[in-house]
Order: sequence, then structure tokens, then C-alpha cells
Amino acid sequence: MRARGLFILVIAAAAGFGMPHLLPGYLVNIVTEALIFGLFAMSLDLMIGYTRLESFGHAAAYGLGAYASALLLLSFDIPMLIVIPMAAIITGVVAMPIAWVCTRSTGISFAMLTLAFAQLFYASVYQFKDFSGGSDGIAGIARRAGPFGIDFFQSKIGYFYLVLIILILAFLFCRSLVASPFGQVLAGIRENEVKTRTLGYNTRAYRMATVVLAYAFGGLAGALYAPLAGFASPELFFWRLSGMVLIMVIIGGRGTLVGPILGGAVFLFLEHELSALPMVRELWPLIFGSIFIAVILFAPQGLWGLFLSWRDKRRIAVVSKSQTDAPHAAS
Amino acid sequence: MPLLECRGLTRNFGALVAVDAVDLTVEPGEIRAVIGPNGAGKSTFFNLINGMLRPTAGSVLFDGKDITGLAAHRIARHGISRTFQLTHLMPDLTARENVRLAALASSPGRWRIVGGADILERAGEAADRAMERLRLAPFASMKANELSHGDQRLLEVAMALAQNARLLLLDEPTQGLSIEETERAVHILREMLNGEDLTVMLVEHDMEVVFKLADRITVLHRGRVIADGEPEEVRQNAEVQNAYLGGFD
Repeated sequence: MRARGLFILVIAAAAGFGMPHLLPGYLVNIVTEALIFGLFAMSLDLMIGYTRLESFGHAAAYGLGAYASALLLLSFDIPMLIVIPMAAIITGVVAMPIAWVCTRSTGISFAMLTLAFAQLFYASVYQFKDFSGGSDGIAGIARRAGPFGIDFFQSKIGYFYLVLIILILAFLFCRSLVASPFGQVLAGIRENEVKTRTLGYNTRAYRMATVVLAYAFGGLAGALYAPLAGFASPELFFWRLSGMVLIMVIIGGRGTLVGPILGGAVFLFLEHELSALPMVRELWPLIFGSIFIAVILFAPQGLWGLFLSWRDKRRIAVVSKSQTDAPHAAS
Repeated sequence: MPLLECRGLTRNFGALVAVDAVDLTVEPGEIRAVIGPNGAGKSTFFNLINGMLRPTAGSVLFDGKDITGLAAHRIARHGISRTFQLTHLMPDLTARENVRLAALASSPGRWRIVGGADILERAGEAADRAMERLRLAPFASMKANELSHGDQRLLEVAMALAQNARLLLLDEPTQGLSIEETERAVHILREMLNGEDLTVMLVEHDMEVVFKLADRITVLHRGRVIADGEPEEVRQNAEVQNAYLGGFD
């Protein structure tokens, strides 16, 4: 079964690697952005799906990553391939005091604190104009080549590959994380934090570590976005983005990693494409909202969660059928 | 040296003195029951020992070390595990995952962020042994919330056991069980206690259970210790009769 999962991953990766050559040129950037958003949604899933840390301010991570990579690329002569992981690490470091403050509380006050930090960054962008460019944002971000003269990732298609590779690596890391001893403790916290603490775990330290990791991966997504768009704007910190990614995680299926990646990527793509259609346009939020309500009502585990439980049911049915078919085989 | 020693342990909630200057020692290997009517301060007393609550006054010594007022997870790491009066489990994890998490707590690999399958495997083996002792092995792959209430109570005991603690605090292990379930649970608990070199403190309402399991009894009434001794002595004690046991005769 594990082998089959790996097989599917290889097929998906192969399809992904072939994709830019099949798509019309203008779509490549949109698909790239969709993958970045999938990565962003996956990073939030570590908090929401695996630890039940409901963040309403995950845009803070995206914005921090985007501004960090934008400012590093503009101010220093560092290759993009180095700037991107640097920006993710910077986001993680900035997240440490945020995590320390936010994890003092749980539930709705935790959500409000994360939102407050994101809005604080949003306001700061306007406040420190010389540094951040204020409402104009930062424009003219170049994808600087190197190191060792590597310039493959500079092109539109090359950048798509870079994003795809990083997304796959991040997914593999997170998949290992949720199955690790650390991941098991997160599951304990999600299910019953008091009990987990009395078992001997410093649950707050685990929650802080989760926030820092989720911000670092969210920052990685933001760091990939800035060189793609060529600019970073204050909207990247805004609560609208936090809300959108939260909804995408829930629609995709929290606690599954794959669901949020698909949810983030598919819905960002749909938004781009459908809101461009004359007959949809302003109706898009209405459609998106209706889908959200339908998922909450009929598939609270999300679309990927729905798929997984359907598959499990089918598997159980197959197993019990094969047992009734061959009752003598067991004895 | 006693394994646990409480000196003048006190906790106030506003004007209410829930636990009032309790002195108590538990020797290694002892099975101690703490009994008393509702509101006597039994659960608060447990909460003071395992760090869920900070005492207003007094101290707790565990194995000679002062653990008064330490955080709950630190006290657990010192070797005190507990179960709760109202079942506290990870409902959506399997029974084995619940116990494995308890066993993992004492492993230095508990902070491993990626990989660590070998660490989980070893914790899983410890979990299997603990579940075996409480006859839970057949339910290992069931979700905790799908277990019967009686087995959920035993699952919590299995978790406490898997923590490899030196002192187990069991808060009403048969709470809410039917007569048949209680009998089965007591039988399994006795078996477990006979097989291991454990020190146990047990809060219990059901006097039958207490007299079957405990080799020493402490009686709390309105936060104070009113009697302390062998089960027979306590049964004869007039003050206890008056405060508590009288209702049963």
C-alpha cells in the first residue's frame, strides 16, 4: 500500500513535470502560483489539522516570506536559490516571539492573537515606508541567477519546476513530520492537551515549535511568490488572505496535507480563471462561499477527507467480501 | 524513605479550604486508598500532587525531592502518572496509539521531528506489554472512543502503566461502571497490582473496591485527614462510621 502511494506520487510528479510543456504560456504562471498557494495551505494544515491550533492570521507568514525575499533580492547580491530558504528561515525566526505570545492562550483567543500579529505587520508596512515601500509595495524583484551560474530557474518554465520541486520536498518533509514521534505528540495535543501534558510532555513547547515550523513553511511559500509576481504588496499580510487560506484548508480536508495542497492550488486556479469569465466575475465569491458552506454541512472532513473515507469503506468492503468468498482460507 | 510525603498540604478556593493541612506518607510498594464523601477534596488532593493545581501552603516530596508547585509535565517526568475521574483519552486515536504516546513520554526521542519509526516501534512494544496486563490487547486497533466505558477506564490505567512511573494515581478507576464491569475491572486491576512492583494511590467511592484493592486507607473529610490505617482499623473507626461509612450499614 505504501508502494502504491509512492507510485501515485511519482505519477503525479511526472504529470507535474510534463505540465508546463502542455499548457499555453500564459497559464504557466497561474499554475505556478497555484502550487505556491498549495504549499501555503499545507503549512497551515500543520497547525489546524494536526495540532488544532486555529490560526486566523497565517498571512503573516506569507507576507513575511515575500517581503524577506523581496528585500534580500533587491538590497543584496545574493542568488535567488539562496534567498528563498533564507527568507523561510527568517520567517521562522520572526515567528518565535509570535509563537511564544500566541501559545499562552488556546482556542479563539489564540486565533485572535495570530490575527492581531498579521494585522500588526500589515499596519507596519504602511508605517515604515522607507523600508517597505508603503502602499506601493516593493516592485522590480529580479530572479537573480546562481550560485555556480545556475540560470535554469530564471525562466517561466524553470521557475515552475523550482516551485514544484520545493513543494514535493516540503510535502515529503511534512509527511514524515506528522508520522514522527513529534507528530504523535501533536496528535495527542489535538485530541486532549491536558492529558498529553499529564503524560509528561511540555505541550506548550510543542505548540510553539509547530507555530514556528508552520510559519517557516508559510514563509517559504511567500518567498516563492515574490520573485514570481515580481513585487510584494501589503495585501499579502491582510486578513483576507488569512481567511482564504483557512477556508481552502478546510475545503481541501484538514489533517491530510494532500487535501490542503489540492484545495489551495485548485481554488486559486479556479478563482483566477472563473473570475475572468464575463458571466462569473463578481459571482465568484458567491460560488466559493456556497462550496464552503456545502463542504461544512456535508463533508466536514473536507473533500480529500471524503475521498479517503470513501476509499477506506470500499477497501473494507473488498476485504470482507474476499473473506466470505474464501472462508476456508483462514483455517 | 517514603516514596511520597505530603506535609501540611493545603489548597484554598476563595474562602473554601478544599484540602486542609494534609500530612500523608506512602511507602514504596504500598496500595493506598484515599476515601471520603463527595467534596472531601480527594480529586483536588490528586491535582496538588501531580501539579495540575498549585498548593496554597505545604509541600510535596517525591522520593526525597521537593516537587511542590512544579508544572504537571515535569512532575510526570519525575515518575508520577495519573488517571482522571472523568475519562481523559485521545478519542480519535487508536487504543494502541493512546498507550504508545504514554510510553513515548519517557523516551529521549520524543522530540524527533522527522523519521523516528524505530523510536515509535519501541514505544509501541512497551504499549503492547501494558495493554496485555490490562487485557486490552484485542482492542489495540480500535479507536479509543469506540471502546466500552469499562475498557476506556482500563485504557487510562494502561497509559499510566506505560509511562513507567514509580507512583500511579488512580482517580476512581471504576467510576460510572456497572456492577459487572466493576467486578471485571477490579479483577484485572488486582491481577496487574500483584504482577508488578507498583506504588499506587487510589481514590475510590466504592467501598467494596477499596477493601479488595488497598492495603492501607486514608479517609478525607472536608479536606482533612480523619483516619489513616489498615482497612480493618478504618472500618472500625467511629469517626469514619459517622462521616462516611455509616450510610452504607
